Amino acid sequence: MSNPQDPLLSVRNLGVVYNTSQGPVHAVSNVSFDVRENEVFGIAGESGCGKSTLIKALLRLLAENGTATADRCTYRGRALMDMDEEDFRREILWQEISMVPQSAMASFNPVHRVGDQVIESIQAHRDDSRAQAMERAAELFDVVGLEPGLLKSYPHEFSGGMRQRAMIAMALSLDPGLIIMDEPTTGLDVLVQERILRRIREIRSELKSSIILITHDIAVIAEMSDRIAIMYGGEIMEQASAIDLFENPHHPYTLGLKNAFPSITTLGTELISIPGSPPTLVGPVQSCPFAPRCPFDDAICHSANPEAKEIAEGHIVRCAHSADAARFRELAKEKSTWLS
Amino acid sequence: MLDYILRRFVYTLITIFAVATILFIIFRMLPGEPTMQVISPAMDPAVQERMREAFGLNEPVWKQYMIYMKNLATLEWGRSFVSAQEVTDILGHRFWNTILLMAAGMCMTLVLGIGMGIIMAWRRNGPVDLIGTVVGLIFQAAPPFITGLLLLMVLSYRLGMFPTGGMYAPGARPDGVLDLLMTADFWHRLVLPTLTVGMYYISTPMLIMRDSMLEVLGSDYIELARAKGLKSRVIMMRHAARNALLGVVTISGIMIGFAVGGQVVVESLFSWPGMGQLMVESAAQHDYPVAQGTFLMLAILVISLNFLTDVLYSYLDPRIKITAKGLS
Repeated sequence: MSNPQDPLLSVRNLGVVYNTSQGPVHAVSNVSFDVRENEVFGIAGESGCGKSTLIKALLRLLAENGTATADRCTYRGRALMDMDEEDFRREILWQEISMVPQSAMASFNPVHRVGDQVIESIQAHRDDSRAQAMERAAELFDVVGLEPGLLKSYPHEFSGGMRQRAMIAMALSLDPGLIIMDEPTTGLDVLVQERILRRIREIRSELKSSIILITHDIAVIAEMSDRIAIMYGGEIMEQASAIDLFENPHHPYTLGLKNAFPSITTLGTELISIPGSPPTLVGPVQSCPFAPRCPFDDAICHSANPEAKEIAEGHIVRCAHSADAARFRELAKEKSTWLS
Repeated sequence: MLDYILRRFVYTLITIFAVATILFIIFRMLPGEPTMQVISPAMDPAVQERMREAFGLNEPVWKQYMIYMKNLATLEWGRSFVSAQEVTDILGHRFWNTILLMAAGMCMTLVLGIGMGIIMAWRRNGPVDLIGTVVGLIFQAAPPFITGLLLLMVLSYRLGMFPTGGMYAPGARPDGVLDLLMTADFWHRLVLPTLTVGMYYISTPMLIMRDSMLEVLGSDYIELARAKGLKSRVIMMRHAARNALLGVVTISGIMIGFAVGGQVVVESLFSWPGMGQLMVESAAQHDYPVAQGTFLMLAILVISLNFLTDVLYSYLDPRIKITAKGLS
């Protein structure tokens, strides 16, 4: 029923609203993207931009006060949101879409052996015996470069890097079509981070899984992803292939993010941060969410939320002034632009 | 692990030793002559003197202490001033009677309490949760002598559903614990005291379990368990309840300690021939050897239960082993 040219995951106008005592919070709005077969799709943005909420909405892990709606949300042609709870649990979760959670430290249950937690994910979906599942777990540990003997250990006996590898091993256990990695390297030191990323790249070239990589680290996302979406205030501001996004950025927020991270080629130049803080997202959005912090804002930006425009093949920008991008790029290099 | 258990065991022995010492001091500080029950002032002073010698009371205090400790260790706990029976024999019977009642009460408290706690957390703010919280708190606010009396008044005197007290019918005297357990009458008589104990203590494990469950349910590993597509029953039992149990085990040690103390009230109320009742009787009759033995036995019981809790905890929480190594 699915066509090989179709995207693996296709999301159109996904929105998530949390009902809070301060009123409805629109944590994610109008999010549309496709993840193709065998690609790494990066989602970048600062803390609180809705990256993690987006993932939780896809996996039905939202807190009780959160509701997700979408015009379309299909995985290999199956409408995820219409699926019955039990079918979704058995056929989609982990079987088709697995995840490497944000905090590998806290995501292992401290009272069970790591191996038991790995085989539990296998046995929840297959009729494997304990011995078969253990054999598979040992294979997986080998893939991520951990001693199979460590399966008998408890999580507290692992270092941060080891736990992260074990998490990746667990995410691979059922050969899912899509692995969501939520900040897989946060909290690890740079050397361990590099080793984990290298391992992810190796795994990716061997397996056919696609990956959604979520991070606030532009350097990591640039290095790993085929295509990138930049999120701000619960919306995707700009979406393009990794090369396009870094060579030909259009959205002022993308320009700002690039400025705020060091790069090898511009070593020695001062980093410029974007003044201000992300919006609270309480109440309906009636302007461009980035307008209050944008150095190029005008009346249009504050009166209506701009529509997403496809300015080139696969390059989508949500900015009323995307035509002025070349001028913005020049101005954005000056610190004074951001401070005024 | 073994290392940890061994160390806890040594601590347990030291605690029992300390309690025995404190008992020795307290019984010597009590007003009045402890021997008044047996050595009458009307006796010939020479006879009085000889009897004191027989009890070792003419020796200096440190020597009395040595003898006391030696006798405790060799289970020579003396004879009752009242019935002249060996204290260890009396306690031997009473101990099991207390254990039976405690076990029934604590089983009801822990099994029902933990089970209710799980359901309440699972269906948070549902009817079971709301009713459970209110009823649990009402039970906890009512002391056992009130609930016990109410149960007796309504179920025994008014409705005649249960006997008013005792472990067996007057006249019947089963030989040994096993024999007792085989009679339906015993179980019938066990209901009311068990309910009294259970009602008073159930809110502790229930509310602790509920709260720990809710805390655990918000943790990252539960979210991952959901993402893994585990059945919700598996998530609740293997991940949430298993971890929340740690909090209940910690508190149970303390709770059971209190319950042993509360046993005095419940046993007196239901004429249950256990150690609690024995403690009251022997104190009233100035039967010092029996009182001393009972106090010591109850203390040993509480301390041993705490030791068992520690062992259970180390089994339930693998991280404890590291701590144990860190201590050595």
